[in-house]
Amino acid sequence: MEKIIETQVLVIGGGVTGTGIARDLCLRGFDVVLIEKKDLNAGASGGNHGLLHSGARYIASDPEAAVECNSEIRILKKMAGHCIQRTGGLFVAVRGDDENYIADFPGLCDRAGIPFEAVSVRDAIKLEPVLSANLIAAYQVNDASINPFKISIENMNDAVSRGARYLSFCKLESFDMEKKKIVRANVRNQVNGKAFQIQAQTYINASGAWAGYIAQMADISIPMVFSKGTLLVTSRRLARHVINRLRKATDADILVPGGVVSILGTTSLRVDHPDNIHPTVDEVDYIIDQGAQMIPMLATCRYVRAYSGVRPLVSAGGDDDRNVSRGYTLMDHERDGVDNFITITGGKLTTFRLMAEKTCDRVCEKLGVDAACQTEVIPLPATRSGEWSEPGIPHGGFKEFKASGDAILCECEMVPASAIDSIINSICKDKGTPDLSSIAVRSRVGKGPCQGAFCSVRILSHMYQTGQMSDTSGIQELKKFLNERWKGEHALLWDQAIVQSSIKEMIHCGVFGLELEK
Amino acid sequence: MNLKNNATISCDLLVIGSGIAGMVAAARAASLGLDTVLTGSSSGFFLTSGLLDFLGVYPVESSQVLESPFNGLDQLRKQNPDHPYSKIDNKTILESLDFTARILSSGGLEYSSAKNTNVNILTSAGTFKPSFLVPQTMIKGSSIGSGKKKILLADFKGLKGYSAALIAQALKRRHMDVTTVTIQVPQLTGDFNVMRMAALFEDDAFLHRTAKQIESSVQDREILGLPAVCGIHNSQDSMKKLENLTGLDCFEIPGLPPSIPGLRLKNAFETHILKNKVRVFNNVKVAFTAFENEQILFTTDGEPFRTQIAAKGVILASGRFPGRGLAAHREVIRETVFDIPVYHPQQRSLWYQLDFFSPQGHPVNRAGILTDSDFRPVDKTCQPLCENVYAAGSILAHNDWTRLKSGAGVSCVSAFCAVNHFHARKKIK
Ligand SMILES: Cc1cc2nc3c(=O)[nH]c(=O)nc-3n(C[C@H](O)[C@H](O)[C@H](O)COP(=O)(O)OP(=O)(O)OC[C@H]3O[C@@H](n4cnc5c(N)ncnc54)[C@H](O)[C@@H]3O)c2cc1C
Repeated sequence: MEKIIETQVLVIGGGVTGTGIARDLCLRGFDVVLIEKKDLNAGASGGNHGLLHSGARYIASDPEAAVECNSEIRILKKMAGHCIQRTGGLFVAVRGDDENYIADFPGLCDRAGIPFEAVSVRDAIKLEPVLSANLIAAYQVNDASINPFKISIENMNDAVSRGARYLSFCKLESFDMEKKKIVRANVRNQVNGKAFQIQAQTYINASGAWAGYIAQMADISIPMVFSKGTLLVTSRRLARHVINRLRKATDADILVPGGVVSILGTTSLRVDHPDNIHPTVDEVDYIIDQGAQMIPMLATCRYVRAYSGVRPLVSAGGDDDRNVSRGYTLMDHERDGVDNFITITGGKLTTFRLMAEKTCDRVCEKLGVDAACQTEVIPLPATRSGEWSEPGIPHGGFKEFKASGDAILCECEMVPASAIDSIINSICKDKGTPDLSSIAVRSRVGKGPCQGAFCSVRILSHMYQTGQMSDTSGIQELKKFLNERWKGEHALLWDQAIVQSSIKEMIHCGVFGLELEK
Repeated sequence: MNLKNNATISCDLLVIGSGIAGMVAAARAASLGLDTVLTGSSSGFFLTSGLLDFLGVYPVESSQVLESPFNGLDQLRKQNPDHPYSKIDNKTILESLDFTARILSSGGLEYSSAKNTNVNILTSAGTFKPSFLVPQTMIKGSSIGSGKKKILLADFKGLKGYSAALIAQALKRRHMDVTTVTIQVPQLTGDFNVMRMAALFEDDAFLHRTAKQIESSVQDREILGLPAVCGIHNSQDSMKKLENLTGLDCFEIPGLPPSIPGLRLKNAFETHILKNKVRVFNNVKVAFTAFENEQILFTTDGEPFRTQIAAKGVILASGRFPGRGLAAHREVIRETVFDIPVYHPQQRSLWYQLDFFSPQGHPVNRAGILTDSDFRPVDKTCQPLCENVYAAGSILAHNDWTRLKSGAGVSCVSAFCAVNHFHARKKIK
């Protein structure tokens, strides 16, 4: 007999949208289960720029989205301030950029109600000395940066503390349908291969780019298009503000501060499938060349890694993915003949809270529950286990840890053993299986210049030594983790980065011979 | 050796690079009576395991682990005529490895091998690595491969990146009989340095206390595996003492850098070389200036001193990317001293594969310097660039040592042979 879990609402997808929905529903008193086929932020939420848009980027292409961004950024700064850096943003144009677009910018901002301020070229360069000497115009806006991992972790932590259940590595495989309704979700645990069922009153499809596949399981078709974007991470932070290119949104025109690093991107490439994507050499070179027009140092600085994400876009026809609405799509599938099924996809990280609110409003309506949204008024609590996903924090805390006799397991990002233990604890509390990858999602481990060469072995050893791991899977675990890091490394190896990666290969292939292990 | 401003130093042979190849080249040159100068940094030794591999895997595509290097050598030469081993016969290879073992012994460090076969050494990842010349402190570990030994593995509380339990699980997968013990080290707390751990092994009181802690775990065990941190200057003695105290055979298990066996290797090379009157300019970088009157001229880089070096011959043993002998740019890979053409896959998109652990290895690891049969770098027309410039070690093309497990072997052998060729040419003149 297969196990059956019962709940009021089943949320499918552990990105920022799904975790935001889980928390919103809990705050309204619902009983919630969230399933994720991998781990938190395995999709676009873990592969984006981390830019909280002021809206200014969308004033020309999508004014409605611009308005939404403007209002959400205010709410999030108040309600989830600990996940956000109030960097401010700059829009800058260089010689050769479209003069009409520059001239229209103030008017379009005004129309969408987006605050901005004109800055002289001299002052802009004073604010950000890395800017090109070819600057011709600059405006200041309210952009900010957000730690996407932290926001999802904290959303989920708060939901769990209010009774939600989070099931990682649980993949939805099919629905059992009976008369215009989903009666059960068939789910498989990806770690032990066991199948089980979840029975809910309402099913929410928050699976981002995968929304079409999930809808298909209920015989509903959603025309998704997949737009891959690639981003590069510099080894240190180059600018204090978010820097946007003042032109019609296109490739490689934003540099976002992410704690102690900067993130440069992005591209928009139509792909056939949202799985198994990774940055390529061509993309990396193109992004650098474009970015360097705005910030010359980008041509010579050191990068530690690249990563890619797939934007969940719902097609309205047409070929240019940047013209597909970045607004969200909320579908009550009652109109498709399935009464208890909702899809929420598209949108942006910036608008996840709003997307969750609208989705939960619809759930309330369907179930006849009268409960107002609380995420606008109840701040998101900060928990210890979310803390280590934040770049920079450990540096300040180092002395304290050293004094208490704590070993630093990740020396690039200064993550001590006690932090690893508290992350493992929180994974176990969610009935997850702690391993290197799940620890890496929740911390800075493996994200520094050594890209996991040393910390991987140190953490694995620590887990064995403390009994947190005890089976024979260690070598496979190590290989899996390093190969995952490698996806983001192989396309940008030159200068100092190739030195580091050579050392990594010396250790793991040259000495350990892991390539010989089946 | 001190450098004086504006002085000129003349020598027969300048060795650029103080890794394994540079050290062997300098030692060989000294043994042939050549007046030799050695430059470069030896900090890379902290990254080496201390094992001297010869040829461990071939063909790499089929992950064929070789019982003896000679089982793969002929096939390697046939399929890869540009590989450094294709330029040398078996007898000379063995001669150069033997030479290396002898100079290390003269520097105070004993290496052993097993009659022309590879020995499989347990690593701290729980894997076995085929190697050839092995520090005496590790050699006994090769006996556990039979699966018949009752093994005890020890780790030290607080020693990062090493877990007896992790290794034990890997051995259990191979159905080996293994138990573990964790040793407390009250002297060391918090985040301590491996060097401090290793230094403790030179203290008898520490050895006694360690043996005492192991006592109750000994029971029916026959052999004890320890992390490779058992002493810096007297590791062989420390191991012997520990064997007497515990009544067990002991062996070290190499692991993550910083590597203590690598440090011992460096110390032994340096001891031997200094004894043999090689002039060593530690951490000095040289910049090539000109070929002049059959000499090759350099200046030393960096303030406050600038010294000229005039050498009759050069061994370029400056390593790959970590050693800075090769520098990769977005479009191209360059050799850093002479700007000798580097053989490499043209576009960067061809340098690496998507699978980090691809058994074939990454094409960029076969990049490097092409040479004639005497190890002299050649230009595009396959002519030596200079009569008396030789290349040795990991900078040579067509040797992906991370897959072949041939790193130290190629370094020792190519350095030994390159110096021999220089010496022979010099004599004719
Ligand atoms: C390159 C790039 C840059 C971006 N930059 C920004 C930016 O700067 N600012 C901004 O606001 N927005 C940005 N975005 C958009 C933003 O990242 C996304 O809109 C947002 O993360 C979508 O979140 P989501 O939770 O809806 O989807 P996802 O994060 O993709 O989550 C969907 C989840 O569903 C899971 N799932 C799929 N199938 C199943 C199944 N069968 N069973 C269980 N689980 C399943 C997936 O594993 C995944 O974790 C960017 C996007 C990209 C790609």
